[in-house]
Amino acid sequence: MAAPMELSCWGGDWGLPSLHPESLTVMAYAKFSGAPLTVNTINNSWRVPKGDVPVLISEDIVISQPAKILNFLRKQKYNADYELSAKQGADTLAYIALLEEKLLPALLHTFWVEAENYSSVTKPWFASRIAFPLSLYLPGKMSREALNRILLTRGGPPLYSLAEVEAQIYRDAKECLNLLSKRLGTSQFFFGDMPTTLDAFVFGFLAPIYKVCFPRVQLQEHLKQLPNLCRFCDDILTFYFRLTVSDPALIISLQMDDNLRKSPQHPPRKLTTLKLAAGGEASSPLNRLSP
Amino acid sequence: MEVRMKGRPGEPGLARQQLCVCGEQLSAQASAAEPWPENAELYQQLKEEQILLSDNASSLAVQAFLQMCNLPIRVVCRANAEYMSPSGKVPFIHVGNQVVSELGPIVQFVKAKGHSLSDGLDEVQKAEMKAYMELVNNMLLTAELYLQWCDDVTVEEITHPRYGSPYPWPLNRILSYQKQWEVRRKMKAIGWAGKTLDQVLEDVDQCCQALSQRLGTQPYFFNKHPTELDALVFGHLFTILTTQLITDALSEKVKNYSNLTAFCRRIEQQYFEGQDKDGSAAVAARSAKRSLLR
Repeated sequence: MAAPMELSCWGGDWGLPSLHPESLTVMAYAKFSGAPLTVNTINNSWRVPKGDVPVLISEDIVISQPAKILNFLRKQKYNADYELSAKQGADTLAYIALLEEKLLPALLHTFWVEAENYSSVTKPWFASRIAFPLSLYLPGKMSREALNRILLTRGGPPLYSLAEVEAQIYRDAKECLNLLSKRLGTSQFFFGDMPTTLDAFVFGFLAPIYKVCFPRVQLQEHLKQLPNLCRFCDDILTFYFRLTVSDPALIISLQMDDNLRKSPQHPPRKLTTLKLAAGGEASSPLNRLSP
Repeated sequence: MEVRMKGRPGEPGLARQQLCVCGEQLSAQASAAEPWPENAELYQQLKEEQILLSDNASSLAVQAFLQMCNLPIRVVCRANAEYMSPSGKVPFIHVGNQVVSELGPIVQFVKAKGHSLSDGLDEVQKAEMKAYMELVNNMLLTAELYLQWCDDVTVEEITHPRYGSPYPWPLNRILSYQKQWEVRRKMKAIGWAGKTLDQVLEDVDQCCQALSQRLGTQPYFFNKHPTELDALVFGHLFTILTTQLITDALSEKVKNYSNLTAFCRRIEQQYFEGQDKDGSAAVAARSAKRSLLR
């Protein structure tokens, strides 16, 4: 049937298959549509694709953006949307635009611009997965790109200082989360009982906010007040990703944490929490959340 | 955020001390008390020679919205409208002693005065409306900006001559190169710089398809009554349909969807026909149809 497909993307931690929203979106869609993807997480090798992660490689074809990757998967008959009506398909596009405009700036800010978050969590994590000496340069470049994007798209007058821009983007992000929560209501997925493209995108954006332990967590706290969105993320993680400690990908990331352990910014208690959780499977995500 | 601008005595209009209100930080209590005055004005660039596709679309959207709310507005064309605006974007309205720019803040300002088109919607519908407005801004407006500023042929033949037309050489070239540099930087940041024109047109097609499917056979997007989403979609689609560019590729994409063209015609007839003032979209259409090529 289809040629073997390989996805190259950032790895995961804190109970997630990936920390990168776009990689997570593609992985979730692949699970929903049943596409057989081999996931190669980027580790300490020299073959780091510099800008355009995630990348799908199938024989000679190389595709880089999530929207294009999803289109390719649909053409290969892995379609999670075939039961949707035309209007629901249109709604999907609209809500994805809403996520990109309102939620993505705050997400980028939490990960890459907020000084405490960046220096204590994001930079060490990404640096540990990139080969030296690129690890000295690439996280800084990603951070600058994120700040650039935020300022260029949201930073014009009448907002004249970074603090005002930050306040505005977090306000927009919280409003966007409220809108998503109202739209989801009590149903399991956004369009009934089967997950679709929109669920993949929403999961890709929400799960990193929900699970990653940052020092500055205003967006996570707001998200935790919306129980239906939290339940939505947990359901997808449990049913479609089935992340347990026996998962080989997780064991690799446990070994990777050796680099982080030596960093003074990471308290050693994090590792002991992981070791204790090795015995219990279902409780491991919860344990890893507790600082 | 409030900015006070002090003007020299005797200088008309906006240069006097005023409150610029933008975004959500309106002094809503102060403005809500006053009714909508008769002399409210909407400022945009010069219609015949200067205004570009994207600005015309935004301006028409605001005009349509105010017409739908039944609020009188007079359109004033100034060459420096972009610089007068508190956020740097046109159009902006001057109501009483307040200046508000862009559709989003204008909708909220009008709501503070007690007029609203989306009160009858429930929460899920409001979420949908906001999502579709973001879709139009994300795809249609960005595509218009791309076509105007990143497609070399259009830039050379239409945009540069029009954008700097009120100013003498070399200021006209400097201003348009500056604006082009700004827009290209933004395109690069959001990942549109690497797109070809065909990919952009495909995105426009996808957006129009989504709008067409959402509209279906209804008169407006939320059945019986128009909302700000209808105004925004009308502003963009009508401008695309009636503006002559180098190629007709963009308007052809919209014309593929008959319910969208019928929607534009319906709103034009209902809210803009029978006006002989400057604010009429019919006049704007006639003037836009004249060749924009110099």
